[in-house]
Amino acid sequence: MQMEPRIANRIVKNVLLSIFIYALPVILMLLTFYITGERPWEKKAASEQVSGK
Amino acid sequence: MIKFFEAVFQNLSTWGLPVLVLILGVIEFSLGLYKKHWSKNERILDIVCYTIPKIVVRPLVTYFGLKFLPLVLPDLKSVFDWVPFWWGFFILCIADDLTQYWYHRLHHEVPFLWRFHRTHHSAPYMGMAMASRQNIIYTIFFSQTYLTTTLVYLGLGYPALFVKGIKSIITTLAHSSIPWDKPFYEKKWLNPIAWVLERLISTPATHHAHHADSNDDGVGHYKGNFGNMFFLWDIIFGTGIITRKYPSGYGLKHYQEEEWYAQFMWPIFKSKKEGSELSANGPMVQDDPIPVPVAVRSEEPVIGKSKLELT
Repeated sequence: MQMEPRIANRIVKNVLLSIFIYALPVILMLLTFYITGERPWEKKAASEQVSGK
Repeated sequence: MIKFFEAVFQNLSTWGLPVLVLILGVIEFSLGLYKKHWSKNERILDIVCYTIPKIVVRPLVTYFGLKFLPLVLPDLKSVFDWVPFWWGFFILCIADDLTQYWYHRLHHEVPFLWRFHRTHHSAPYMGMAMASRQNIIYTIFFSQTYLTTTLVYLGLGYPALFVKGIKSIITTLAHSSIPWDKPFYEKKWLNPIAWVLERLISTPATHHAHHADSNDDGVGHYKGNFGNMFFLWDIIFGTGIITRKYPSGYGLKHYQEEEWYAQFMWPIFKSKKEGSELSANGPMVQDDPIPVPVAVRSEEPVIGKSKLELT
């Protein structure tokens, strides 16, 4: 039994949209850091240097 | 305050959820919501599906997180633990639930995959008894479990505790036969909340429609409403229907009450029921009987295309 072409086309379109949705929170987070100047990863690196990790 | 919620979700992830399921199950039985559908075969299947994955799948996921990931990604442990809580929460909500949406949807839309998910839909009732009812292969390959375990390894373990807890509550309540969402539709002042709720998360009305045995009543929508924690995916991708009603029947029209071991272990064990999707020579997808206008009705029973292929 084969998949209907209409359903296959809808899956392809929705998968492409999903890739954008997956990336969205990461993009928004990085954009927020860019706007606010926040650099949380630097804090982590500094604390690791202090603790000698 | 945060410590309180942390304790709540930590307990939920251990003993809390099974207790919630047990309490809801007892209420469902007391109210007679399973009617007379919970036969011996269904009972064994539901109990096996609830217990065995906890013995088999949990060690597998633990091995994946504690042994496999450190082996393949040795320098990446906790590399993203600097991600602020709410961003981690947001990332996990999408990563986990959108992956489950796709895993679920593909098992409905790709004919080859349907039989791995069929067990979850064969129950002629809704409720706690059937919420965990899945074929073992479907459960082992639950893709979002491995994705979330990987994100935990990368440093998002703390937000994962909350995402997993909230998701468990929503999906459990969406499968319940207690229509807790009904007051939101009936009481006018709660309607605005209902509007948001039914678009954002899975509710009994939308998820029960997904488990309907027919689409003919205008309520059932077994070819859509795939969302698990979030219904939003169905809204975005156009696969959802909201009616604020509950379907008249659940399960599969062509259900042959296949043996519990065949439903749990297909394709390792196959059903002896002739013509079943789970039998050795059964169809990949057995369509429901097609209603035919009286004027053209022949003496032969009219059945779905794939069933005809069998004969």
